[in-house]
Amino acid sequence: MDLLKEISEALQKGDDAKVGELTKKAIDEGMVPKEILDDGLIAGMDVIGKKFRDHEIFLPDVLLSARAMYAGMDLLKPLFLQGEVPSLGKVVLGTVQGDLHDIGKNLVGIMLKGAGFEIVDLGKDVPPEVFVDTAEKEDAGIIGMSTLLTTTAPAMVRVIEILKERGLDGKIKTIVGGAPVSQNLAEEIGADAYGYDAANAVESVKGIAGV
Amino acid sequence: MKRKIQFDLEEITPRREAVLDHQGIPEDAEVPQRILAIFEEAATIFADLARPRGLFADINEVEFGEVFPGEGSNAADAVVGNVFPKANNLALFAATMGEEVSRAIADLFDRNDFALGVMLDAVASMTADRTSEVIADHYHADLVAEGRAAPADHVLGYSPGYCGWHITGQRKLFDYLTPADIGISLNDSCLMSPLKSVSGVLVSGGIDVHMFKAGYSYCPQCKNASCVARMERLMASEQGNA
Repeated sequence: MDLLKEISEALQKGDDAKVGELTKKAIDEGMVPKEILDDGLIAGMDVIGKKFRDHEIFLPDVLLSARAMYAGMDLLKPLFLQGEVPSLGKVVLGTVQGDLHDIGKNLVGIMLKGAGFEIVDLGKDVPPEVFVDTAEKEDAGIIGMSTLLTTTAPAMVRVIEILKERGLDGKIKTIVGGAPVSQNLAEEIGADAYGYDAANAVESVKGIAGV
Repeated sequence: MKRKIQFDLEEITPRREAVLDHQGIPEDAEVPQRILAIFEEAATIFADLARPRGLFADINEVEFGEVFPGEGSNAADAVVGNVFPKANNLALFAATMGEEVSRAIADLFDRNDFALGVMLDAVASMTADRTSEVIADHYHADLVAEGRAAPADHVLGYSPGYCGWHITGQRKLFDYLTPADIGISLNDSCLMSPLKSVSGVLVSGGIDVHMFKAGYSYCPQCKNASCVARMERLMASEQGNA
């Protein structure tokens, strides 16, 4: 079987040891790192993302595959220029100020990374200015904001206001998500996209990133 | 009266089916063995590391009327603002799973062991939520024993951060309750540490005290709607008792 296909299939099974072993083999055979990344690892995660979206597999299955993907990426990373893995775009992610719940945000980060995006994870309880400052500094095209508490919407609004004040709206897009967030709320506060779960967030980010 | 509670882990740890359901795996699904193994590992880690403890303290209506407004950021129509004046008794409460569980979850994510990390997080979050119900049961039992409430009354918890009660309300709640006694502190954003902690007010009263229509200004944005499920359970229990 084609080595890249083997990597993809091992990843889909969540077999991190096998993915590591096969990725090393591909590197040793002189395969181009970008090909291993795109046609092995990301291709496998793409299948997993679709199966999850279609309810064919469960969240823990996705997360086992994500761990397998990271096992391969850890081997590839040093081979890219300055250790930077080529990406579909950079996304600054965080749980908004006033909230420490980060499990949803972490899931979105894992899924986005699996889809080929670069993630700058600011963690939790992130002040609005920090989202925008970081996006500017990192030249990120997207800010992703997550919350669980129902009283933290103003923190999301403030990020969008700051982007407007700095003339960055349109250049830096925003996506919001979390238990108390809805499509209506996203539209009401002027966010560019809404993700109702981690898999949907990947689709939404791809949409606003134009990839 | 201020009372500390030690929990029986078996009493508060959620069932496997509930934890899997929390992750979108329905009860009737055929769950792969490897996922069941992840649950078992998470449950074992949780049993090893969890140090659940809680406390509650009576507060009268006047005192709570000073605590509830917090720093003035509540929604004008916050649910608790309508509920507490009708209560026959009130108490503030807090509970925590302890620091070690939160640290273990973070460590698992750092090691890219996402599936186990998420599973442990789910077990810890659900257990923390369950502690507020157990504390409510203890409070109700105390009230009944002291003749301050009827056995048929209901005690429910309401927490800052939800249903219009702004998270900054935590500061006054903590000033009154001092949950540092059980190892919970607040950061500058009024969020609790350890992360797997809960706090709020226990409201005691008849079923009418707790019933409301989920038509508040913030309800359309809420996908959680646990309040509705809770009211449905109350009604079911009343019908069961009738």
